[in-house]
Amino acid sequence: MSTSVGGGTRDEAVGGTRGTDTGTGGRLRGGTSGGLRGALRGRLRGGLRAALLGLAGLAVLFLSIAFAITIGPADISVPDVWSAVAAHLGWGEAELTPIRDGIVWNLRMPRTVLAAVCGAGLAVCGAVLQSLLRNPLADPFVLGVSSGASTGAVAVVVLGVGGGVLTVSAGAFVGAVLSFSLVLLLSHTLGDTVDRVVLSGVAAMQLFSALTSFVVLTAADAETTRGVLFWLLGSLSGAAWTDVWLCAAVLFAALAVCLLHARALDAFAFGQDAAATLGVHVTRVRLVLLCTTALLTATLVSSAGAIGFVGLALPHAARAVVGAGHPRLLPVTALAGAVFLIWVDTLARTVLDPQEVPVGVVTSLIGVPAFVVVLYRTRKTT
Amino acid sequence: MTYEETYDATYEKAHDATYDESEAATTGLAAGRVAYAAGGRLIVDGITLAPRPGSTLGLIGPNGSGKSTLLRLLSGVLEPASGVVTLDGTPLPRLGRRETARRLAVVDQHASTQVELTVRDVVALGRVPHRKPWSASTAADERAVEEALDRTSLTDRAGQSWHTLSGGERQRAHIARALAQAPRELLLDEPTNHLDIQHQLDLLNLVASLPVTTVIALHDLNLAAMFCDEILVLKEGRAYAHGTPAEVITEPLIAEVYGVRARVTPPADPADPLDHPSVRFLRSSPRPSS
Repeated sequence: MSTSVGGGTRDEAVGGTRGTDTGTGGRLRGGTSGGLRGALRGRLRGGLRAALLGLAGLAVLFLSIAFAITIGPADISVPDVWSAVAAHLGWGEAELTPIRDGIVWNLRMPRTVLAAVCGAGLAVCGAVLQSLLRNPLADPFVLGVSSGASTGAVAVVVLGVGGGVLTVSAGAFVGAVLSFSLVLLLSHTLGDTVDRVVLSGVAAMQLFSALTSFVVLTAADAETTRGVLFWLLGSLSGAAWTDVWLCAAVLFAALAVCLLHARALDAFAFGQDAAATLGVHVTRVRLVLLCTTALLTATLVSSAGAIGFVGLALPHAARAVVGAGHPRLLPVTALAGAVFLIWVDTLARTVLDPQEVPVGVVTSLIGVPAFVVVLYRTRKTT
Repeated sequence: MTYEETYDATYEKAHDATYDESEAATTGLAAGRVAYAAGGRLIVDGITLAPRPGSTLGLIGPNGSGKSTLLRLLSGVLEPASGVVTLDGTPLPRLGRRETARRLAVVDQHASTQVELTVRDVVALGRVPHRKPWSASTAADERAVEEALDRTSLTDRAGQSWHTLSGGERQRAHIARALAQAPRELLLDEPTNHLDIQHQLDLLNLVASLPVTTVIALHDLNLAAMFCDEILVLKEGRAYAHGTPAEVITEPLIAEVYGVRARVTPPADPADPLDHPSVRFLRSSPRPSS
């Protein structure tokens, strides 16, 4: 695989000698001299390869969705599932009963698509925040969004804030926005460096987690606690088409903003001053990207709860495969996150059938070993 | 010439009217009475400079004399509390970050990263200010990167991971990145720190051979004397002296600015531009000798 900062694919000029996937740290066979002509040829070849990679990724994504919707407790045959979906997309007639058709189109389909959207969104947020904050431990929840969302959700469910008008999702969203505003305000007051942003996020996370625990333990009965816990760990079980459309719209808008700043993110590799001397408006770009990722995370969390690990690990895995250049890293991370969460959710709802495991639990149970393998294969041997 | 006279001459030159905004406003990089304060203290206090296009201006002075801050002001990363930095007469804020980065490049002491990048990736960062957000790299981008790699003798290492480079190679990679920006002005902040003598000389030879205006902060007085056309001496944020190495690097000045004893051998042939004064530092005697 090859890597490149700035979206081009110039390292092809050295004959693709960067062996990130050679396992035992054999990534450093020296490049041979490429020269300009080689660079240009490499660019074309690399461009083709990037396009192929993107197409392959999309194909895998659609196949994953097609497969995931055939699985479930209701016994519906694979051709029936696909013909039902095709009918809804405008091809042919469905032969299923309305109930079975509803299972496919109103339960399985939105759930699977929401898994894809959440996976993509969380992974992209993680990738952006890791680069922006220059912290490999950053994830979408580092800005305190998830704990704020939890507090908001708990306030609605347990305390009845909003008097029944406010849904759990809306409560979570309000909580997330409040928490993120607190983080921005804190980090601004405390000096506005990258470290201060991270530390403010950690502080907000602790504060809102404490509030959530306090509310749950003092005010909730056992049944509510269980429901809240399930939500806190992340679950796609309540997915409806309205959630899907909302999340997808926010995802695509946020993706566009992040891709627009992809080169600026590249420039952050050597720190903020270096980015500034490369022509990046550091404060502006940072504020735009922090707000974009926080908004996207808040939207996703309010629909599906705080699904952990995807945003932390997927960007690292994607980086190991396609390199650190954001114009390519961000789309690949999005695809990888989408496919990953589809499969994890499929597993989460089948492995203990008929009981369902919170998807956030499974992301970590499956993700951690995979993550270790990826890191091991790309470890530095120096 | 006595020390007093030398001092007066160089000090005058640093504050000379002909060396001021009126002339500075026309060509290249210039700073007019820039000042910067932090923590209630003036770090840079009214510095005016305008290096001749294509020349190398050295900044010397003890730790905390304001060299790095002055460079950050010149690059536009910091905004001066008063005074103005201009490129061809246009103040940097009016020129904009991106436009500034297209013609002024910066190499820091030891900028490092945790990101896994190849040498080519690092050099290609220099094209960021030249590229539109959505577009792929152009032939001009490729050419600039290849030429920068070639100029710094890093072509063979282009595909190698940045993290495997030695300190000297990393600095060369940063200079290549700066060159890929296609600058007319290059600012360097002690780029030879932590390098052995051979790499120090290699690096400065490379820098001196570049067809750009260079402002370089240096610790080593001998290196400054060897590679700079002019030297600006900073002390407590002020321009203490300014002139050619032979004019500036003198025993009294070293004693005054650094508080150490040194022997300075003046250039044998003052007319030879490659000849320069050399400095030999002396141990301070443990007790006054009789």
